[in-house]
This record gives sequence, structure tokens and C-alpha cells, in this order.
Amino acid sequence: MILVAIGLSAVTLLVMAMVMSYILGWANNAFHVEVDPRVDATMKVLPGANCGGCGFVGCGDYAEAVVAGKAAVNKCTVGGESVAKDIGNIMGIEVGASFPYRPIVHCGAHYDERLGRHEYRGEMRCAAANLVAGVQGCTYGCLGIGDCTRACKFDAIHVVNGLAKVDYDKCVGCGACAEVCPRNIITITPFKAGWMMAVACANKDAGKDVTAVCTVGCIGCKACERTAKNYFKVVDNLSTINYDAYNASEECYMDLAAACKKCPRSRLVFVGHPTAKDLAAVADKELPEVVMADFKTTVDDTEWRG
Amino acid sequence: MNYIVDILLIAISAALVNNFVLYYFVGICPFIGVSRRVDMAFGMGCAVTFVISIAAILSWSITVFVLAPGALVTKWAAGFFVSAQEAAQIDLTILCYLVYIFAIASAVQFVEMYVRKFFPPLYKSFGVFLPLITTNCAILFACLTIMSKVVGVDNPADAWDLGRSLTLAVFGGVGFTIAIVIMAGIREELDLCDIPKPFKGPAITMIVAGILAMAFMGFTGVDSGLKNALTPPAQEDVQK
Repeated sequence: MILVAIGLSAVTLLVMAMVMSYILGWANNAFHVEVDPRVDATMKVLPGANCGGCGFVGCGDYAEAVVAGKAAVNKCTVGGESVAKDIGNIMGIEVGASFPYRPIVHCGAHYDERLGRHEYRGEMRCAAANLVAGVQGCTYGCLGIGDCTRACKFDAIHVVNGLAKVDYDKCVGCGACAEVCPRNIITITPFKAGWMMAVACANKDAGKDVTAVCTVGCIGCKACERTAKNYFKVVDNLSTINYDAYNASEECYMDLAAACKKCPRSRLVFVGHPTAKDLAAVADKELPEVVMADFKTTVDDTEWRG
Repeated sequence: MNYIVDILLIAISAALVNNFVLYYFVGICPFIGVSRRVDMAFGMGCAVTFVISIAAILSWSITVFVLAPGALVTKWAAGFFVSAQEAAQIDLTILCYLVYIFAIASAVQFVEMYVRKFFPPLYKSFGVFLPLITTNCAILFACLTIMSKVVGVDNPADAWDLGRSLTLAVFGGVGFTIAIVIMAGIREELDLCDIPKPFKGPAITMIVAGILAMAFMGFTGVDSGLKNALTPPAQEDVQK
């Protein structure tokens, strides 16, 4: 009887295995869904970070959109040019020059440079602090509480002495920080060179009002516009750089460096990584120093006391 | 009438009183893992409910027709080798884990293919969860509970039929959904809270889960109270 039970157990499992594999095999053919082989190929090329920098839910979603023709092949910010090229090969599309996109923080004031700052004891979020009037005098600038730091999946942005500072070594340009910033002072900019000039201010008020709230903010004096007309334009009392005209040529650097020198508030700063070529191009020019990050504090020095 | 009361009691007991997650502590990994956002949690809950129902139908059929002592198929097959009396005693319930996992995994695979082919939007919304929960312990737990109610009873008349088994499974799944959605709601709020540093992350999640389980202990006795309310006392029957 025991032998019969053992035999029956074996037979039960064997029969189940046969029935199940038959059904699944049949279903595999009957319910076969045609998946474009290009989707798989694209998936293999993509970095798989699922960061959403391309504007889709994840790499899989983006791969499907690309194959369906709904998205451009160069949207992947993490992979950059090489991935765009590979996807272009898969899709049979020639890819033009594409630049890595990186965030630029348009504020340059640290705690000691900001005026009219008050102790804030609310919830430690920029989004919350932005709702409260009078946290700091400047209503455009960085609040320094670090919503961007929390949003970053790559540990690439930190708050240093009250100012968000991008670590371009780690940054992949997914744009999460720009999206979360309640004051919209982070822009995702095409880095045409390893080293980009940026206007480190976002204050659109008149010069007098800016000096009242900040010791370093752009006052809209138009010195840059006069010096390098092709690259600068003062809109709403705020200098803006025409990144379409911007390029990595030497003449461009000469003009930019001249404008830099002219700026009375030193608001034109270089961000990113200087390459050897960039350094050689500006070796004899006087440029404002790039502030290096020392990752000490991540929040305001006022504390939560309930 | 008695049957309906029975079904009602099983339903309430499975969904609230003996909640799979918060009373028996099965299915904890999706409960903690997929409870970050309410919509994801709801998708997971629906997927679990769906799979658990299929698993219940399969496991009930397999138990009744193959595994249980004196089951129809086994008795017939063994009848070729041993006497009818001995054939009725052959008990294959030791195979339960193997057979259930096997049946559930295959069924889920099949359903996944079917849904992918015929209901692409549905597949997109919860198809990704299906492979995750193939051998979720909550599902195996439901199967084993059903087996114990079919095989382990003293009086053969008390053995659960398919309706009772399915009720346990569906409302077990509903209970799971309730628990995971509440958890996801709390965790979404927790993201905005100023939690003391030592409690951040998994620690506060565990504490919340514990408090939630204690809160669900408040349902204890609801089922027996309901049973007393719904079944008329025996004396009345005598008087009539």
C-alpha cells in the first residue's frame, strides 16, 4: 500500500507537469504577442536607471515610445550622445550633435550674502518654506532647505552654506531637481562645453530692490550686454545668456571672460568641469573662482523645535 | 439561510477579523515592499485578490479530487493495485506544498499570457505584479487553510465546498487590499512628517505596521457576535 501511495504521488506530479506544460506551451503560441524586436534592442542599449529624465515613466516606456516613433532617440540624458547614437543605429536614424543636459542653479547667494533672512521653524521643505512670506528677503533665490537634494537619486546636488550646489561628477541630468524646486531656479541647460558660463541669480526686481535683499544679486546694469552683445541680454532686470549662440570656441570665451570682468556683482560664473582645452583657452584671463563644494551642512542652521 | 450566514461570517472573518496580513502575518513582503504609493498598493491588492481566487479554485479541486484520503481520482487509480478498502485510505496530502505551488505558478503564468494578449491596458496596470505574487505566502496560506477545512474536519459534512473556499479567498484578498492601501496611505503621509532620525525608513514602517495590526485586533469578536445575532437561538426553534 505504501508503494502504491508513493507511485500515485509520482504519477500525480508527473500528470500535473504534463498537463501544465501542455497548456502553457499551447498558450504561449495561442496568446503570442508580437513585440517589436527593436524594443528589446533599445532596452539593452539604455542605461536602465529608470530616472525619468526623458519624460517617460522608465527606460521600458521610453524604448516603446521611441520604437513607436513618439519620442526622439536622443532623449536619454543619462546615456547622452553614445546611447543616442546606438538607438539611432537601431532605429536607422542619423543623430545630429546632442549635448548632455545638466542643471544650473541660478542663485549665488550663501547665507551670509542674503539679507532679511529670518528664522524659519516650519516644516523643513523648500516647498513649504516658499509658501511663507519673509523666510528671506529675496523671493527668487535658493531657500537652502534642500528639496533638490532629496529629489536627487544620484546624490549629485547638495546644499552648501544655504545654496544648492550641483556635483557635476555625479549628475546625470535627469532633471528631478529642476522639477522639484518651488522657485524654479534650476534650469536644465545643454552643456555645449565641459564648462559653462551661467548667470547665478534669478532676481527680476530692479537693482535697488535687489541690493536691499542680497549682497551679490544681479542688478540688471547691462554691463554684460554692452560688453558681449551676442551672448547676453538683460530681460526683466536680469542678465540671461543666449545658449544658442554659446559655443566652445576661443572667441566666445574671450567675450565671456570680458563680460565676466565687467560684471560689478560677479554674477557670471562658470559651472561644470573645465576640460584641458577650456583651461588653455582662458589661461591668461581673470575669471571668478568656481566655488568647490564642501559637503558639510544639508539643512538650514535653524533647528526644528516643535 | 444557514449557508448564507456561513458565507457572510467567512467573508467578514477573512477580510477584517482574521486579516491575512495583520492577524496571521502572511504576505508581509508585498505589504512592506509595494506600499509606498496608494495606486501601486491598490494594483497589488487587486492582483493578489485575483490570483488568490484562482489559487483557491485550483487548490480546492485538487484537494477534493486528488489529495484527500478517499478522493475520487486517487481511489479509482489505486483500485487497480489494491483492494477498494485500502484504496480509500491512501492519503496524498503530504504533496500539498509541492502541488499547490506548482498549480498556482502555472495558473498565474497562464493568466498573465491571457491578459497580455486580450486586455493590454489591464496588463499594463497590474501585469507587472503578477509574477511577483506567484508564490506569495498569503496565497499559499489561503490554499493551506482551505485544505485544512476540507481534509482536517472530523465530520465529513462540515468539509468546505467550493463556495466557502472561494469566499475565504476573495475576502482574504479584499482584506489584504484594505491593509496594504491603509498602509500606503499612512506611508505617503509619513513622507511629509518630521520623523526622528533613528526611526526613519524601515523602522517607522515596522512600528506603523505593528500599530495597524493592534488596531485590527479591535475587530476581534465581531464574527462571533454576528454569528449569535444572525443564527436564531435554539430554544425558539423548539417553541415553534
